[in-house]
Amino acid sequence: MEWIKLYFVAYRTALQAKLEYRADFWVGMLTSVLLQLAALSFLVVIFKNAPSLNGWTGTEVVFLFGMTAAALGTSELFFNHIWMLPQYVVSGELDRLLTYPVHSLPFFLITRPELHSFGNLVTGSLLVTGSLIQLGAPLVAWLLVPLWIVCGSITYTSALVVFGCLSFRLLGPYSHHLMVPHNLLQATRYPLGIYPGWLAYLLVLVVPFGAFHYLPGGFVLGKSLAWWTVLAPPLAAGWGLVVANYVWQRGLEFYESTGS
Amino acid sequence: MSATQSERVRSRAALPLGPFGDLASYVALFVRSVRANFAYRQAVLTSLLAAGISYSIPLLVWRHVYAASPHAPPIPAAQLFAYLLLGGCLNFALGMSVEFRVGQRIRTGMIATDLLKPIDFQVAQLSQALSDALFNVLLCGPIWFVGLVTLRGEILPASTGSLLASLLSIVLAFVIMFSISFVFVQAAFFTNSGYGIFAARSALQQTFSGLSAPLALFPWWMRATSEWLPFRHTIHTPIAIYLGWVSGGEVARLLALQLGWAVLLFLLGRVILAAAFRRLEIQGG
Repeated sequence: MEWIKLYFVAYRTALQAKLEYRADFWVGMLTSVLLQLAALSFLVVIFKNAPSLNGWTGTEVVFLFGMTAAALGTSELFFNHIWMLPQYVVSGELDRLLTYPVHSLPFFLITRPELHSFGNLVTGSLLVTGSLIQLGAPLVAWLLVPLWIVCGSITYTSALVVFGCLSFRLLGPYSHHLMVPHNLLQATRYPLGIYPGWLAYLLVLVVPFGAFHYLPGGFVLGKSLAWWTVLAPPLAAGWGLVVANYVWQRGLEFYESTGS
Repeated sequence: MSATQSERVRSRAALPLGPFGDLASYVALFVRSVRANFAYRQAVLTSLLAAGISYSIPLLVWRHVYAASPHAPPIPAAQLFAYLLLGGCLNFALGMSVEFRVGQRIRTGMIATDLLKPIDFQVAQLSQALSDALFNVLLCGPIWFVGLVTLRGEILPASTGSLLASLLSIVLAFVIMFSISFVFVQAAFFTNSGYGIFAARSALQQTFSGLSAPLALFPWWMRATSEWLPFRHTIHTPIAIYLGWVSGGEVARLLALQLGWAVLLFLLGRVILAAAFRRLEIQGG
C-alpha cells in the first residue's frame, strides 16, 4: 500500500502549492462559474424559442449540463496535468517524471490540480441537485449520480490523454488538440437525439461521453431507454482507462527528450 | 559592433518611440509571426477542428429546433444558419493568441526582454495578433465556400455597400477583440494561472457577442445587457451589417460605436499596462 501513500502525498503537496495562490483560487472559481453561466445562457435562448429538445424538458437538459460540469470539475481537480503535456514534450520536462519509481501516467495526471475545478464542481453539483429535486427523481438516481460523475471524469480524462499523446508526434507548445475532446464533452450537454445518427453513435461508442449521463440519466428519468444503460458509465470508464494507458505507453516510445 | 552602430543602438534605446514610431520593426514582427503560424500549421489545423466542433454544436441545436417547430423562432432558418456560419468564421478569425503569448511572457519573466526592445509593447502585440487573424482568415475561406454551396445566396452580402461597411466593421472588431484580450491578459501580472483570464473573457464573449444566436433571439434582459458591453461589436455588429439586417443611418451609428469602443479599450490597455509596469518586479540574474 506504500504506492497509494506516495500518490496521495504527491497530490496533497501539489494541491497545497496551488492553494498558496489565494487570488487564483477566487478568480478561478468565479470564472469557471461564469463559463457555466455563459453556456446556460444559450440554453435560456433555446428554450425561449422551443418547448423541449428531442423530448427533454429544460430541467432535464439542465441535469445533463450539471453532470457535464461536475465530471469536468472532477477531472480538473484530480487529473488536470495532461493539459501541460505539449509544453513538457517540447521542453523535455518529462525526463524527470520518467526517472521516478512510479507508474508515469497516473502520477503525472494527479500532480497538477487546478483551482478553477471547484467552480465547475460546485456549479455542476448545484445544477444536478436542483434538477433532480425538481424532477422528483427516484432514490436510485441520487445513489448512482456520484458514481456516474466519477466515471464521467475518468472517461473524459482518458480521451484527453489519447488526444494529448498526439503531442509526442505533432511537436509544438500548443494544446489545441486537447480542445477536441473538451468540445465533444460540451456537445453532450444536450440530448444526443438532436444530433445526426453518426455523431450520436460517436459520442456513445467511440468517444463515449454520452455514456455517463445521457444513457443512464435517460433511463432513470423515464426516457424509455433500456435498464442496462445504468451499466454504461463504468463500462465507458474502464474502456477509456485501457485505451488511454495503451496510447500513453506507445506515445512515450516517441518521446525524444531534449538536448542541453 | 562599430562605434557608429553602437551609438545608433544607444540613441534608439534612449529615445522613447511613439506607438507607431518605427513601423519597419512592427512589420518585421508581423512577418515573423506569420512564419511562426505556418511553422505550427498542425496546431492551427487541430485548432480549426476543435473550433469547428464548438461552432457546430449551437448550429445542430438550432437545426433541431427548426425541424421540430419551423415557425417558432422569429428569424427564418436559412438566415439564422448563414448568421451562425459567418459568426463562427469571424470568431475563429479573431481568435488571436494574445492571452497565451502575453500571459506566458508575464509569468515566465520573459517580458523583461520585451521591455528592452525599442518598440511599443502593445503595438508589437497588435502586429502579431494581426498575423494570427490574417492566417485564420485563410483557413476560414473554405468554410465560407461550403456555406456558399449549402446556403447559396443567403451567405452573400446584402449589397456592395453592406460588404464595404462590414469590412470596415470587421477591422474595428479586430481592434476591439485585441484590446479586450490585452486588457484581460494583464491580470497575469497579479495571478499565477492564466486560465481565469482566458475563461473570464471567453465567458463574456460567448454570452454577449451573439456567437451562438443573433441578439434578436435573446431574452430582453440579455439583449439589454449586451447593448452596454463591447462584445456584441466583435460578432453581431459586423455580421448584421454584412447580411443587411441594418442599413443607412443605423450602420453609421454602429460603426461609430465600434470606433468608440476600439479607441476606449485600446487606451485602457495602455493605462493598465503602464500601471502594471510600475509595480513589475522580475528577479534573476
